[in-house]
Amino acid sequence: MDTLIEVSDVSKRYDSAGTFAVEGVSLDVARGEAVAVMGPSGSGKSTLLNLIAGLDRPTEGTVTVAGQRIDSLNETSLAKYRRQRVGIIFQFFNLLDDLTVADNVMLPAQLAGAPRAKARRRTDDLLERLRIGEHRQAYPARLSGGERQRVAIARALVNSPELLLADEPTGALDTTTGEEIGELLRELNRAGQSMIMVTHNPDLAFRYAQRTIQIVDGKLAGDTTDGRHVARAGAGARP
Amino acid sequence: MSVRPVLRAASGGVTRHRAQTVVIFLVLLVSTASATLGLALLATANGPFDSAFARQHGADAAVLVNSANASNAQMAATRRAGGVRAAAGPFGATTVTLNSQGFSMPSSLVVGRASPGGAIDDLSLATGHWPRSPDQIVLSEGLGFYPGLGAKMTVTTAPGKPQLTVVGMANSITNTAGAWVLPGEISKLRSAGAPTQAQMLYTFGSASTAAQIRGDVTAVSSALPAGAVSGFSSWLVAKQQDTTNSAILAPFVEAFALIGVFMSVLIVANVVSGAVVASYRRIGVLKSIGFSPAQVVVSYTARVGVPAVAGCLVGLVAGNVLAVPVLKKSAESFGVGSQLVPLWVDVVTPVVLCALVAMTALLPALRAGRLSAVQAIALGHAPRTGRGYAVHRLASRLRLPRPVSIGLAAPFARPARTAGTLAAIMFGVTAVVFAVGLNTTLARAEAGQSLAATAPVQVGLGTGHAMAPGGRADRALVAVLRAQPGTRRYVASAFTGLSVAGLTQQVQAQATKGNSAWLGYDIISGRWYNGPDQVVVNTSYLNQTGLTVGDNTTISAGGKSVTAKIVGQVFNPGNQPALMADWQTVAAVEPSLGVAQYEVGLSPGVSTNEYVRGLGRGLGTKYWVSGPQSGQFYLIADSLIAMLTLMMAVVAGLGVLNTVLLGTRDRVHDLGVFKAVGMTPRQVIAMVMCWIVAPAIVAAAIAIPVAAVLHSSTTTAMANAAYTAVPASFQNVYRPAEIVLLALSGLAIAAAGALLPAMWAARSRTATALRAE
Repeated sequence: MDTLIEVSDVSKRYDSAGTFAVEGVSLDVARGEAVAVMGPSGSGKSTLLNLIAGLDRPTEGTVTVAGQRIDSLNETSLAKYRRQRVGIIFQFFNLLDDLTVADNVMLPAQLAGAPRAKARRRTDDLLERLRIGEHRQAYPARLSGGERQRVAIARALVNSPELLLADEPTGALDTTTGEEIGELLRELNRAGQSMIMVTHNPDLAFRYAQRTIQIVDGKLAGDTTDGRHVARAGAGARP
Repeated sequence: MSVRPVLRAASGGVTRHRAQTVVIFLVLLVSTASATLGLALLATANGPFDSAFARQHGADAAVLVNSANASNAQMAATRRAGGVRAAAGPFGATTVTLNSQGFSMPSSLVVGRASPGGAIDDLSLATGHWPRSPDQIVLSEGLGFYPGLGAKMTVTTAPGKPQLTVVGMANSITNTAGAWVLPGEISKLRSAGAPTQAQMLYTFGSASTAAQIRGDVTAVSSALPAGAVSGFSSWLVAKQQDTTNSAILAPFVEAFALIGVFMSVLIVANVVSGAVVASYRRIGVLKSIGFSPAQVVVSYTARVGVPAVAGCLVGLVAGNVLAVPVLKKSAESFGVGSQLVPLWVDVVTPVVLCALVAMTALLPALRAGRLSAVQAIALGHAPRTGRGYAVHRLASRLRLPRPVSIGLAAPFARPARTAGTLAAIMFGVTAVVFAVGLNTTLARAEAGQSLAATAPVQVGLGTGHAMAPGGRADRALVAVLRAQPGTRRYVASAFTGLSVAGLTQQVQAQATKGNSAWLGYDIISGRWYNGPDQVVVNTSYLNQTGLTVGDNTTISAGGKSVTAKIVGQVFNPGNQPALMADWQTVAAVEPSLGVAQYEVGLSPGVSTNEYVRGLGRGLGTKYWVSGPQSGQFYLIADSLIAMLTLMMAVVAGLGVLNTVLLGTRDRVHDLGVFKAVGMTPRQVIAMVMCWIVAPAIVAAAIAIPVAAVLHSSTTTAMANAAYTAVPASFQNVYRPAEIVLLALSGLAIAAAGALLPAMWAARSRTATALRAE
């Protein structure tokens, strides 16, 4: 297996006296894999995603992505990691209201120092592929939820990251739009895009991910592959 | 109304938003300190002489009596003379020349007094103590000579040249003496053959005009044997000098006070109202859990009130502490002993600033109190959509790094707040540009008056008497001057009083022997004289005679007259008319004109202090030698300008800090998004710093012409107060390259203010920021 992500005995707590948001989690994700992370509210799904995205640091353990230890990177290196290796999609899109759709999508490329013309070509290409090319000069507030999430996906993909991380990507969308976005993510995965998706929705996980990880109370509680639930004895297990 | 939840909400706000609490505290601290200092200066500059005169029981007249002609009893009996309200004395007195380490001072009156206190002329001891033994002396600060406590002074004119130790520095409000010793010492200090003298101090029933004082002194003279009174000095002369000093100082202190007050009001209002507006969301939450409008108002007024009141109190202390050295210098400059921050300033300043805080906090708090919970929460969110979008679109087309172009466009999302930032920077830049201009003007004025750049050394006969031109003393002095290494050139000066057609009072005239154009007096109009029958005069001369440059003026003395052409107007402040001319012109009416001193120019690279010491050694104690002396007025003005400018720049920087801080709080979620998509901490700092670039540039563009106008009008007002016009070189102080550099001060103030919040923004945790709303 060509391992892309290696999470090793990772724990996270937000204050020294508090409980663990994530505790002793270990898992590997292969390149090209689509993994759904499921669990009840407050179980630590988004925290785990944030640790892999380099948005937060583990209290204990190590996180390695594409051979790079990211838990020990400084803020500047983490920013470079986020812009080069991962694309992040959020439940509430997190688009910048005062930038146009095209400017939102181009932003990570520009931050990475891509030439203007190249960034624009890549943006136009993505917007066309995601069927929102006609909105390139519109502002996010004028778009529907599905359109905004497509813009967010385009932004996440603009630097061609090895890993796409999605935190409840359909959570703020109606069922039909949610399915559209799900299909879009599956297409991306079929094209070779590695992906981790946090979701509440078992149907979404079943239909669009090859593997589902269960997190309960911050601990790894299970792992299913191709719909088959694989029970785990405890935290720290690897698939 | 239940108080407990209100207090909990207020204290929660104070501790939860520590940065904002600190900003409010600091803004109020600096504003209060600068307002206290400014008001104290204004208050004391508007009448230091009168208050000090009353406090020190100033003498209306100090009369010098030849004690060979009048007994002590006769002198004491003059307290019953007509017009006399009170008298002190007689105090033994004599005129001496003091020398310290080769430096001789012009002759000074030394008076014997047992103590500094008294019903009249209650001396203010600035440092040290009153003489306790025969070999001790206290110098007057009015001499402008500070050898330091413990310094040895040789009385070169006294038999045996006794040495005295300086044990104190004191102030007489009316400059009744140059130094004081114990009464028994005067006889030892009297030079051989000098008359025995005594000083009587008087206050009169009527002493508000020179004529009244002349009449009063005549009454005193009549009560003594004929010829006993050998001279007197009037309090009006001292008041004249002081009033001129304070009047010159007042315009720029007022200008700074004006800028400071406007800026403090603006920034305090901006900071405090911004703090409340930024809390609208929290106010909405409090209302939704049951806070009444009154509880909301009290809670938020208290929240900003706690750090504001604390800042006011600490600022008041800081203002008083800062005012001590400035007022001390001011007092020294005016010769008025000591000055304190007036009580009303200590009361009014914090009360007004606290009222301002209450008002600026109350208005948005009242508005928030009236809003529904949902409205308050909605208003507490980030800027309304639509503002500044066009600017963002334009900025994205600029060929600039993306964090820079996003940062440049950001201020347009909050126009009102940006206007506040712009105004804060504008006031700060105005203060800096104005201060730099004023400093240059004052430096040029000081150089023009002291001739420090051209003729830094003066030398004359130790007794203070003039030398006959070509006489033995003169020849000896010139021979030493010529032999002294470092002497480049010199010119003899004489001073005499002349009558001028059209003026009732005598005019102080300075005559120079030989080419004196190199002395470099600042010319306001016309040119320097280059031969006989030409004169240059000061502005008071022209104003009082009604003449202009190019007119003829007739000067006379001892029944002789000469008509000369006024060829120039020189910078020579004061309301006493003054005239300068070639030796031949003045000698035509005053044939006995003697050399009072030589003005000496030095070769390039020669140390003035070493030259003065060397010349002093060469000449011996018979002559006095003086180096350049910085005028106390200019010293105090310089330090005041520096202090006030620094304070205003700090307040402006705090204003920027507050705005950027509020901006980072408003946009915390966006900052999280920027970081999530790969913006590095350095790029975040660059972006946030760029928020203030456009306001800083616009502020500088407004501030520079405003400061130039303020500088021009202030220097004109100062010059008017000093009864003079000013040379164009004093007004034209801003060169294009300097203007560009000064404009950058706006960016510097803004950058200094924005740096901390930018760093905080860069350090914030991305995941936390993304969760924030």
